[in-house]
Amino acid sequence: MRPILLSGHERALTQVKYNREGDLLFSTAKDQHICAWFAHNGERLGTYQGHQGAIWTVDVDPTSTIIASGSADNTIRLWEVKTGKLLKTWDFPTAVKRVEFNEDGTKLLGVTEKRMGHLGTIVVLDIKVDPDAEQSDEKVLTIVCEESKATVAGWSYLSKYIIAGHEDGSVSQYDGKTGDLIYNVNVHELGSPITDLQWNQDRTYFITASKDKSAKLITAKELEVLKTYVADTPLNSAAITPKKEYVILGGGQAAMDVTTTSARQGKFEARFYHKIFEEEIGRVRGHFGPLNTVAADPTGKGYASGGEDGYVRVHQFDKGYFDFNYEVERERLNRLAAQGGK
Amino acid sequence: MAAQAKHDWADDDDLDELTTADLPPPQKIQNKDGSTTIIEYRYNDQNQKVKTTRRIRYITHREVVNPRVAERKAWVKFGQSAKDGAGPAPDTTSVGENIIFRPSINWRKDAKDESKDPNAQAMKDKLKDKKVKCRICNGEHFTARCPYKDTMAPIGEAAGADVAAGMGDDAGAGGAGPGGAGAPGAGKKGSYVPPALRGAGGAAGAGAGERMGGKYGERDDLATLRVTNVSEMAEENELRDMFERFGRVTRVFLAKDRDTGLAKGFAFISFADRGDAVKACAKMDGFGFRHLILRVEFAKKAA
Repeated sequence: MRPILLSGHERALTQVKYNREGDLLFSTAKDQHICAWFAHNGERLGTYQGHQGAIWTVDVDPTSTIIASGSADNTIRLWEVKTGKLLKTWDFPTAVKRVEFNEDGTKLLGVTEKRMGHLGTIVVLDIKVDPDAEQSDEKVLTIVCEESKATVAGWSYLSKYIIAGHEDGSVSQYDGKTGDLIYNVNVHELGSPITDLQWNQDRTYFITASKDKSAKLITAKELEVLKTYVADTPLNSAAITPKKEYVILGGGQAAMDVTTTSARQGKFEARFYHKIFEEEIGRVRGHFGPLNTVAADPTGKGYASGGEDGYVRVHQFDKGYFDFNYEVERERLNRLAAQGGK
Repeated sequence: MAAQAKHDWADDDDLDELTTADLPPPQKIQNKDGSTTIIEYRYNDQNQKVKTTRRIRYITHREVVNPRVAERKAWVKFGQSAKDGAGPAPDTTSVGENIIFRPSINWRKDAKDESKDPNAQAMKDKLKDKKVKCRICNGEHFTARCPYKDTMAPIGEAAGADVAAGMGDDAGAGGAGPGGAGAPGAGKKGSYVPPALRGAGGAAGAGAGERMGGKYGERDDLATLRVTNVSEMAEENELRDMFERFGRVTRVFLAKDRDTGLAKGFAFISFADRGDAVKACAKMDGFGFRHLILRVEFAKKAA
């Protein structure tokens, strides 16, 4: 496969995100604009200008009408996808590290940083998916994380729960309506922050990536750890691929540690693991720095990764990717084919 | 590319104004083979005139997409891309080098073979007890792993000068420098031996000396097949798939046209084992592939 290199940012990437149809790709970096790209050829649709600080996160609503972004300038901003127009700004006391729309795009959650005497919080905003509508100023819900600040969060299926990953390596489940804490489970090593949380397509389970060099597949309802993927480097991001049963992990030594570690160069590769068998099945190299974020194309045809090197690499999978099956998978397919023939 | 005459940096502001004025208009030329050559001129950051020549072949590729996706494709660009023309802008989008990614269960093992990590040493230790004997240098390793695989022929053919000189063990230990083993006349070990005589040993005409030309000169052509009459739509992957059935393929080279990217009609397939190559040659000669009948034969050594 020939990756497409997108160099629309001058600084390290913080998040890449596909829209629901997989034709648009949004990227944020520590410079001050968001880029929108056409995923099939890497053409830049435009940039969203207005933030005054590093942008940590972006999310697009399911209809690709609006996007929300969270930034170190202590704001969440809402933009019209088509024109790049700023629709609304919400101010917070601290930086916003993660935003995510719920399944129908009517609610937006934001994770705010713990700093300057303010505790880390998860806020919920009501959104009208219409560029012309007046957005409300009010926060519907504010969850304060007293023990350990949340680093990432997301909406489960039917917006039933808010799942948050914390700095101490635990995962919490909050009620999506009231904000009550239901469970808090230690899944990753104590003290190693959870760096990413991404859902499967129907949002019944999710994958977390952590600095403890592992990624875990966890159910949304019971917070049961289904699978563990062990890597040899701290992880910054993890994604679940549709169509094929794989997960993609991204990480690498932090840039500041590279010179102090003796490990052979890099580890700046995207790692592919089989989702069920938990085995590593391949790597894709290319970045010159740690991978900060990976995203799987919802159509299952490719993936994108953003690195500390400032590049986004968009990959379209080859035939070999789709053909690969474990022996048991192949047997099952053969059996099904035989039954279908009868 | 014509560099402009030296000017003072203080004049920079004025110069900006006269850019774009004296640029020749872009040219489009239709080539006979259906491709188009586009010649454009622009000024770069240093105010130098840059001529860009691109040769493009348009291939219409139809795809049915969601109407909403189709609608989005017609959107007008905005922000920093507002001034970009249709299609990907060269300053933000480029295409990376080809990456071969095929998932495999043995991924980890394969990678270890390549990098010489401690496990390779452990493997060697294990093999010591197993009495593995290399056909090339009599060392205790598999022939395929012999450090002299590319430079020496198997012992039966090459009269085994090294072994006769009583240095077979040294060679087996994997010492570097193919010339070290067979100094002519078996005289002083340290004396200089011209490259042309290295490896020739005492036996006259046994094996060619070391050649210049890096790895290409030393490639083992014994297990390389030449495949001709290949369809111009062929891909290296397809060839690899076809030939991997017969054994481990170490290299697939498909000649492609530099401009159009279409195959030129011939390819080279190298096998790890000559036996596999013989099998593949017999089976694949006359094989129908993409409406053409493949012709497979052993590659002749480059003169």
